[in-house]
Amino acid sequence: MSLSDLISHMDLSVFPEVALVIFAGVFVAVSARTLRADRAAFEAAAGLPIDDPAPAREEEPRE
Amino acid sequence: MSDSPSSGEPASPQAAGLETFRYDDGLPRMFLMATLVWGVVGMLVGLIVAIQLVAPSLGGLHEWLTFGRLRPLHTNAVIFAFAGNAFFCGAYYSMQRLLKTRMYSDALGKFHFWGWQAIIVSAAVTLPLGFTQGKEYAELEWPIDIAITLVWVVFALNVFGTIARRRERHIYVAIWFYIASIVTVAVLHIFNNLSIPAGALKSYPIYAGVQDAFMQWWYGHNAVAFFLTTPFLGLMYYFLPKAANRPVFSYKLSILHFWSLVFIYIWAGPHHLHYTALPEWASTLGMLFSVMLWMPSWGGMINGLLTLRGAWNKVASDPVLKFFVVGVTFYGMSTFEGPMLSVKTVNALSHYTDWTIAHVHGGALGWVGFITFGMAYWLIPRLFQTRLASPKLAEAHFWMGTIGILFYIVPIYVAGLTQGLMWRAFDATGRLAYPDFVETVNALMPMYWVRVVGGVLYLTGAILCLGNAVVTWARRPERYEEPVYEAPALGPYEPSSAESPWGSKRGDGGAFFDLRRFAALRWHRRWEALPLTFTAWVVVAVVVASLFEIIPTFLIRSNVPTIASVKPYRPLELLGRDIYIAEGCYNCHSQMVRPLIAETERYGEYSKPGEFVYDHPFQWGSRRIGPDLHRVGGKYPHLWHLQHMEEPSKVTKGSIMPPYPHLLRDPIDWSAAQKRVEVMAMLGVPYGDTVRHAEEDARAQAADIARALGEQIHPNDPAKQAAAAERYKDKQITALIAYLQRLGTDIKAEQAQKK
Ligand code: HEC
Repeated sequence: MSLSDLISHMDLSVFPEVALVIFAGVFVAVSARTLRADRAAFEAAAGLPIDDPAPAREEEPRE
Repeated sequence: MSDSPSSGEPASPQAAGLETFRYDDGLPRMFLMATLVWGVVGMLVGLIVAIQLVAPSLGGLHEWLTFGRLRPLHTNAVIFAFAGNAFFCGAYYSMQRLLKTRMYSDALGKFHFWGWQAIIVSAAVTLPLGFTQGKEYAELEWPIDIAITLVWVVFALNVFGTIARRRERHIYVAIWFYIASIVTVAVLHIFNNLSIPAGALKSYPIYAGVQDAFMQWWYGHNAVAFFLTTPFLGLMYYFLPKAANRPVFSYKLSILHFWSLVFIYIWAGPHHLHYTALPEWASTLGMLFSVMLWMPSWGGMINGLLTLRGAWNKVASDPVLKFFVVGVTFYGMSTFEGPMLSVKTVNALSHYTDWTIAHVHGGALGWVGFITFGMAYWLIPRLFQTRLASPKLAEAHFWMGTIGILFYIVPIYVAGLTQGLMWRAFDATGRLAYPDFVETVNALMPMYWVRVVGGVLYLTGAILCLGNAVVTWARRPERYEEPVYEAPALGPYEPSSAESPWGSKRGDGGAFFDLRRFAALRWHRRWEALPLTFTAWVVVAVVVASLFEIIPTFLIRSNVPTIASVKPYRPLELLGRDIYIAEGCYNCHSQMVRPLIAETERYGEYSKPGEFVYDHPFQWGSRRIGPDLHRVGGKYPHLWHLQHMEEPSKVTKGSIMPPYPHLLRDPIDWSAAQKRVEVMAMLGVPYGDTVRHAEEDARAQAADIARALGEQIHPNDPAKQAAAAERYKDKQITALIAYLQRLGTDIKAEQAQKK
């Protein structure tokens, strides 16, 4: 019996359900983690794009 | 200008562990200009094909300019050249700043830039010449595909090298989106393009029929996600806060947004194939996940818009923010509409109509285009280090673009609905109300004209942007400033570091399984800090989801029940099929009759999966500008096709199909027959003995068809019959007719046998 035969005999309607459960599960886990996270530290991360440091020196010829 | 260089206290470089560095803005500068130039080119080609639909004779000017060849040029140019360069520009600009380091390698960056532009140029040359794989958005032939892979790997190396060298511990969410885009696009590109060369610029995919369709729409769907959505979400999460000078509204939401896209998007691919010869469960799966996608997408939109809280007064005066607001709004619109279109009953109406085109352009012009233009206007003064030449024209661009989008999509929605409803309309006697397909085409002409106006407006806006950039560039300072920055190097990673957004609640340590520790999810924090592990997880999510989708179609024999009477194409038919592919007929014609009454009534027996087992590549198509062709075999005499291909509007009044006079002129490339049949045989197509005399077989069939053509052209004049037969026996039209007459007929043999 080949793998093809084996899979051919499986009830394929379980695929969507299994997939849904797995991915919904992971999604819930990730969501839970994110929601529990510490707000203050997140705020630092959220600000990353806008708190560019000022240049240390204006300009300095490269050569 | 939050990031304008202001002379702060010069910190002492000797201070503990401080390192100095400069950003490389030359690279984003080049990518920005490339974005705008290719944007104008790609949109111009789009406008040309839009005009061809109302003035089809324009396509007859030259074979290089026919709709079927130009439309792929348009899609490839706007996706890979315009959107691609925009992504690279924004990624190179933002990554350096978010990671506090110069890019890993200037040389890799240059290679990436020039390599990518060379790929675009080769696409612009080969597509009009008719070199194509015949799969939407994956048209480019195998040598170019290899070049794309190479350049992509260089890009990835540069990105990961930069991440490895970073001086900021936390990898900002925009970069997560970039990473996901880079790795997923690589996977998609490689697996969808697996093919066997059958010439310098010709190949056949290893997949056939249903499987090829499945791979293609797995690719097509996810390319929209990971080439046109996630890169631009990354850009949004960087440039929107930047332009508003506000932190992103909710970082938590942005993380949820990210993971739900990675986890859910890839599952939704099969919704492109509803009511086709695809198994029921796969299509239901596609629908379910598509609907689930709606939620995170709206989360993202709301997050973007709320980032502007308290900055709305700025929106009124700043074109950059205006572009972003409208762009994000269109993201919300498209991501609401997408799941809706994936619902089977809606899809039954919308599929193959202009509704899809309207949906795509809401996303492309509104979301991708406007995020790109917003980013461009923000970057131009900063990259060229002088004021934007004309803020007024930027404002004008915004309004032209917005009105242009509306003029494009509103009539095209109307066109889609109109045609969809006309296709399925029955009269009181139970017959099709519009049996002539061309009636349903001609009804759309006024809408197509309005679209042209919308296209002109949008393109004009893009040209204004390019002009604005060029003039600003001309006013650049003599030498660009390259300020020096300082930041401490990153030490080795400390899991308990207080900077962790997930807090530093410590477990008691030593416990075999510490629940609290697990709940604090430090493991997640840890692999976020380890970019390779993070990347690996993204790949796992994408690949697992893909496998769930793909493996069953490849393994289940019952999916594609074999039909004994379905035989491989004869060599001449194969050559004709290659002409069909090269001319891009699939851009206007489907080959997939769905099991809906309106379709079987119009076209005949619905298509069975088993009928496509020798179709490398599949040619189901996605849009019916012309009628479905799967059952066209035997519908007309040869002569009808000859005359129709030469000048469609002479045969079908009001046809908008382009004329193909060159097919009656150009000779068949006989020498190709042998190689192509050999490659097909190698792919498992049972050619048997024919493999050894492919050319001979092709010539014999061509002679038969030419003879029949001669008889039909001159029914009562044997001398002229012979002359006509002589004339057409080696012309491309003969091969194409052989293919068209074969289409969808094998199954009839089976039915005849049963009777
Ligand atoms: C711009 C879109 C477009 C392109 C490209 C195009 N067609 Fe058409 N085609 C149409 C339209 C519209 C019709 C219906 C009107 C007519 O019969 O001409 C049509 C009709 C046909 C028909 C008649 C079908 C029937 O059942 O009556 C055939 C056959 C056909 N096309 C073949 C081709 C082939 C082969 C190519 C590529 C070489 C091609 N078409 C390219 C738009 C297109």
